[in-house]
Amino acid sequence: MKFLCVPCDTPMKLQTVAPPERGSLSIVYSCPECGYEMAMLTNAYETQVVQSLGVRIGAADASADTAKSAGCPFAGMIPGGEETRSRPDEPIPVRWTAAAEARLANIPEFVRPMAKTGIERFARENGAVEVDEQILDRAREFFGM
Amino acid sequence: MKTYHDIVGDGGSRVLEQVVEQRARITDGLSGVRHLVAIGSGKGGVGKSTLTFHLASALRARGLRIAILDADFNGPSQARIAGVQEAVFVPGIEKVTLPRTTNGIGVFSIGSLIPESQALGFESTTQGESHTWRATREFALLGEILASFEWGSLDLLMFDLPPGAERTVQYADYLDPRTAFLLVTIPSEVSRGVVARSVAALSRGPNRVLGYVENMSGYYCRDCNAVKPLFAPPEPSKLEIPCLGTVPFDPELARNCDLGISVAEMPETPVGRALDHVAQQLLDTLESPPESPR
Repeated sequence: MKFLCVPCDTPMKLQTVAPPERGSLSIVYSCPECGYEMAMLTNAYETQVVQSLGVRIGAADASADTAKSAGCPFAGMIPGGEETRSRPDEPIPVRWTAAAEARLANIPEFVRPMAKTGIERFARENGAVEVDEQILDRAREFFGM
Repeated sequence: MKTYHDIVGDGGSRVLEQVVEQRARITDGLSGVRHLVAIGSGKGGVGKSTLTFHLASALRARGLRIAILDADFNGPSQARIAGVQEAVFVPGIEKVTLPRTTNGIGVFSIGSLIPESQALGFESTTQGESHTWRATREFALLGEILASFEWGSLDLLMFDLPPGAERTVQYADYLDPRTAFLLVTIPSEVSRGVVARSVAALSRGPNRVLGYVENMSGYYCRDCNAVKPLFAPPEPSKLEIPCLGTVPFDPELARNCDLGISVAEMPETPVGRALDHVAQQLLDTLESPPESPR
């Protein structure tokens, strides 16, 4: 969808995207010529269409931070998330180095809780109290293709 | 006044751009895969998932690099069949490492993420209206999986499709046009009829239909060491695609499936030999030039 400022005959630019509220997105566009602002307020069906495409309106531009707060479009598909396969008999906390955490952050959010739980279990089973890149590489060799 | 096509870009929403970016990531991620093969049918309950895994095992036993993507998100069974229900998803440098089975087959299945007691659900702003968006969301998820996992260098990536002739065609539309289809039927007119519909629907698109496999073609009786009829003898198949082989039902194989044991561990049985034959036929067909359209 594109918006045109009719008096200026100029394409309008996206300014802000508010997180969905009661199924509606509020997206503000403005005209770079005259500064006129307008908001597109989506109904639940329109919001759903965007979410179903697995995209975020305005992602990776000036409004990325706002959009990011909406989270991964697929994160909610795993019932119970992290608790789904968590094991109560594993009390020893495992730390993550910044580099290992960065790698975890790179993968889709819907896989992340399972990945975190599994890697921490692997670390404990190997006598480690910290997940670093070396542990990730060992796990990769052990479990992966 | 300017029209839609006069305006370059979309003013910053980047919706279309994100979809295009994801498609590029998928193409890039699959660039090391030699053959993409979707195992479908149209009909449910014909043994697509079982056949997919055992074919993968037969191909793996030949030293090929194989992976399976369980595209049946609502009824995932590869996690159990392949024994990867407790798979650990390891973050790689940029993508997720594909979990593998004990015999070295890469497997992604939603069943590794969600216990069998729970169903796949999506957050929605339109409760009770999932018929309007569910398919779109599932295909976006498929795209996310294809784009986010390390498929690496593979001889075959096999897609285990959900049932439904229309779904089979939707996958053909979504997946790379080089994805070839292998259809599965059982020796019943009902099943063959549904598969014939899938063939007709697929023939409208660019994807190649390699042929079909007749599964549950008799059952292997271990006591008699013979394959006996399982269904009343049907009319000869009228499917106008090549038959790549017939595979008998083997209760032992079915039991092994539940335990995540592959057919490679029972090669000297009729079902083992049948699957090996189908694997060879599949490879031969993939390597042969496609027939020109009728």
